[in-house]
Amino acid sequence: MNEASTPWQRAFRVLVTVGPGGLWLLLFVLLPTLLVLLASFLTRGPYGELTGPWGFHNYAKLLHPVYLEAFAQSLLVGVLATLISALLGYPLAFYIARHPQRDLLLFLLLLPFLTNFLIRVYAWLVLLQREGLVNALLGAFGLGPLILYPSFFAVLLATVYTFLPFFVLPVYASVERLDWQLLEAAYDLGARPVKAFLHAVLPQTYPGLFAGSVLVFIPAMGTFVVADLLGAGRVVLIGNLIQQQFGITRDWAFGAALSVFLMGFVLLSLYLYARLQGERGLKDLV
Amino acid sequence: MRRLLTLHALLVYLFLYLPILVIVALSFNESRRGVRFIGFTLDWYRSLFQDPRVLEYFLNTLLVAFVSTLVATVLGTLLAVGLVRYRFPGKSLLRYLLYIPVVVPDVVMGVSLLLLFALAREVLGFPRLSLFTVILGHITFQVAFVTLVVRSRLLLLDPALEEAARDLGARGWQTFWHVTLPLAWPGVAAGALLALTLSLDDFVVTFFTAGPGATTLPLYIYSSVKLGVSPKVHALSTLIIGLSAFFLALGYALTRRRV
Amino acid sequence: MKRWVILVLVLVLVVVGFLLLRLKPASQVGGTLYFLNWAEYIPKDLLKKFEAETGAKVVLDTFESPEAMLAKLKAGADREFSLVVAPDYYVLQMAREGLIVPLEKGKLKNLANLDPFFLDPPYDPGLQYSVPYLWGTTGLAYREDLVKGPVDSFAVFFDPARQVGPFLLLDEMRETIGAALKYLGYSVNTTDPKALEKAKELLLEAKRRSVGFAGGVEALNRILAGDAALTLAYSGDVLQARQEDERLRYALPKEGGTLWTDALVVLKRGPSQDLAYRFIDFLLEPENAAALAGYTRYATPVAKALPLLPEEMRQDPTVFPPEEVRAKLEYLKDLGPDIALYDQVWTEVKAR
Repeated sequence: MNEASTPWQRAFRVLVTVGPGGLWLLLFVLLPTLLVLLASFLTRGPYGELTGPWGFHNYAKLLHPVYLEAFAQSLLVGVLATLISALLGYPLAFYIARHPQRDLLLFLLLLPFLTNFLIRVYAWLVLLQREGLVNALLGAFGLGPLILYPSFFAVLLATVYTFLPFFVLPVYASVERLDWQLLEAAYDLGARPVKAFLHAVLPQTYPGLFAGSVLVFIPAMGTFVVADLLGAGRVVLIGNLIQQQFGITRDWAFGAALSVFLMGFVLLSLYLYARLQGERGLKDLV
Repeated sequence: MRRLLTLHALLVYLFLYLPILVIVALSFNESRRGVRFIGFTLDWYRSLFQDPRVLEYFLNTLLVAFVSTLVATVLGTLLAVGLVRYRFPGKSLLRYLLYIPVVVPDVVMGVSLLLLFALAREVLGFPRLSLFTVILGHITFQVAFVTLVVRSRLLLLDPALEEAARDLGARGWQTFWHVTLPLAWPGVAAGALLALTLSLDDFVVTFFTAGPGATTLPLYIYSSVKLGVSPKVHALSTLIIGLSAFFLALGYALTRRRV
Repeated sequence: MKRWVILVLVLVLVVVGFLLLRLKPASQVGGTLYFLNWAEYIPKDLLKKFEAETGAKVVLDTFESPEAMLAKLKAGADREFSLVVAPDYYVLQMAREGLIVPLEKGKLKNLANLDPFFLDPPYDPGLQYSVPYLWGTTGLAYREDLVKGPVDSFAVFFDPARQVGPFLLLDEMRETIGAALKYLGYSVNTTDPKALEKAKELLLEAKRRSVGFAGGVEALNRILAGDAALTLAYSGDVLQARQEDERLRYALPKEGGTLWTDALVVLKRGPSQDLAYRFIDFLLEPENAAALAGYTRYATPVAKALPLLPEEMRQDPTVFPPEEVRAKLEYLKDLGPDIALYDQVWTEVKAR
């Protein structure tokens, strides 16, 4: 062996490779996270600055019905968006995986997804306006016009639209790895199609199904932009509350508490996911 | 069954493309409002190009994306190599930190960076909220993604190759430069591409970390949308859709040819 | 293969280098004025004219709600902007919060051009901290063809029986809470917690029937697009939007609306302060004040600019309300620490 391993040289190499990136993470990820945690125990001063006294009062405020309601709405958006994505995305993943032109279909799936996020949300605003396309179509059948925007429905629709590929891709990966012999075996044993699917196919796609659900659920409940643009103040999610505390009412301490709460909730759902999937699951997410 | 699946896929693709097609069509519509197509016009594009600010926002967006991607790719690649090759104190802490920007909602990320910058400005007198702080914010989430992508590529590699290089007398940096990096290259490229896309698309972190004059295209789109639906935004959106479609198609064609 | 990589690298470096040049602060002779203003509240030509006269560069940033503006400044942006257009009732508050200090009047040669009334306005006695920018009223904007019934009172928002069509709530704390207070018969400046509690209930009920919140310009655009029939709005914004659609109307409610002045303030910690003063002086020149008023369709406080305005604008009662109408309008006042009561009401209304 040559000079490779004196302790000094090893330390030097670690410093060169890990040093800059590690320092960056400490400075711009760890430190801000700690600052948010710290701020969440402080109080809003008369002019919106952070002051003492210390305490848990911001967390106590979270229990106020107003804020619980926003949290419930976020959960509802997250759960419903995940369910709808599953209904739309699960069969689609099968279709793509078994299609001879699957590269092209994947490309077509990703194309709208790679245009700007705001444009995707804006597109729905255009469609759902009172004098927009949907109402024009309804009008042709003598219906409406309906007030489709702003509404919870609009927020949900745009959320699904925005995050659908996050669901399809992991399921697709699972389907690609699928062992179809199991299905044939089930048929050979005389199982009916539904039963054969439930026992031979569905369990094999669990990893993709779970990963897709987490990937839709977390951003869906954490976003504020969709509710901001398509809810116009009538649909208030936890992300909107956070933005309001920092951007309008200047209660940074409470905004920080909301952030810690949201972060905690996300980590909890990831923990549950990891319990279901094992450590590997987390890596699959990325 | 098969037919049902096809119908379903068709409907989902319609759902994916309808909104975009509507925007593209409306950007050529003479009518300012509503969806009735009354005539073809390029006026909205003309007024877009006559607005010098739009070009400035576009250049700002590119500046942020390129600089942050460059820095994040270098930092992330080195970090991934370090994490895979060496053992050192604090390694598991770094691994957890890497996941934070990936999983935490971007609002939380935005406000925590805002807190950091506000405190730093108060105590140290810098940084000014500007394109510079936006770049810092973007690098932060990009580093995490680049590191994770490159790391997963490195974990697939055969460590015997590096050992062989060392046995043949290569120095540490020579091994890195001539063996590790070329082998990790697809991961590095994929990470950089992902970082670039994330930066171009980011609105939330930019929203919280930008200062005066640091307007990027997403910020401009947001404030225009806030003011109401307008054909000028249709036109801008169509251009962005066209541009991303072009680059995606290019990438698609290139990868197809290699296979 | 290798050459290909090098080519790409060189290309990337060239692009980056070119872009990096942009990071350098603009090396304009006259410096850079960082100006924070409401959206669509100044014509671009006026900024260009100032740039041509001084050799300075103007960087304009806009806001949609004054609460968002103040929050932005308090988050540290007060070091990044030189000059801000603020609602009158914010002037003293900003002074109290240490964002602004008394103006150096010696630097303003054109103050004498102002209407004498504006030299000593109720929101900033003696013009200690601010210079008036434009003034106007807040009232009801509606599209004639979309409402079914008279639009002459705040009841169109607050009385379910008298709702005449889908309405938007203006995303501005003082104006919108003020409208509820007026409807209940209180002053827009009350600090009585009971009155505010009632206003909150009223607003929460109205919010459920509304089609959401919107900023001033946004609300009118949404009415033009047919998403809503009416809203609370600022007079000049309505006149501006009317040029696009004749069916848009403006009315002051019989309970009485508000009268307001937007004011220019120089930030204490902001950059290029001298330029900020020059810009204020520039706006006080009759010709420029007239251009500003003509574009925004708001009334100018610069008396010498009045003769330069088009005849139809001078005669328009929406721009210059007659004396007996003005008597019924109220100024929003700075409330000192009691503003926390309003903050609380607004937080709950917005959150629910």
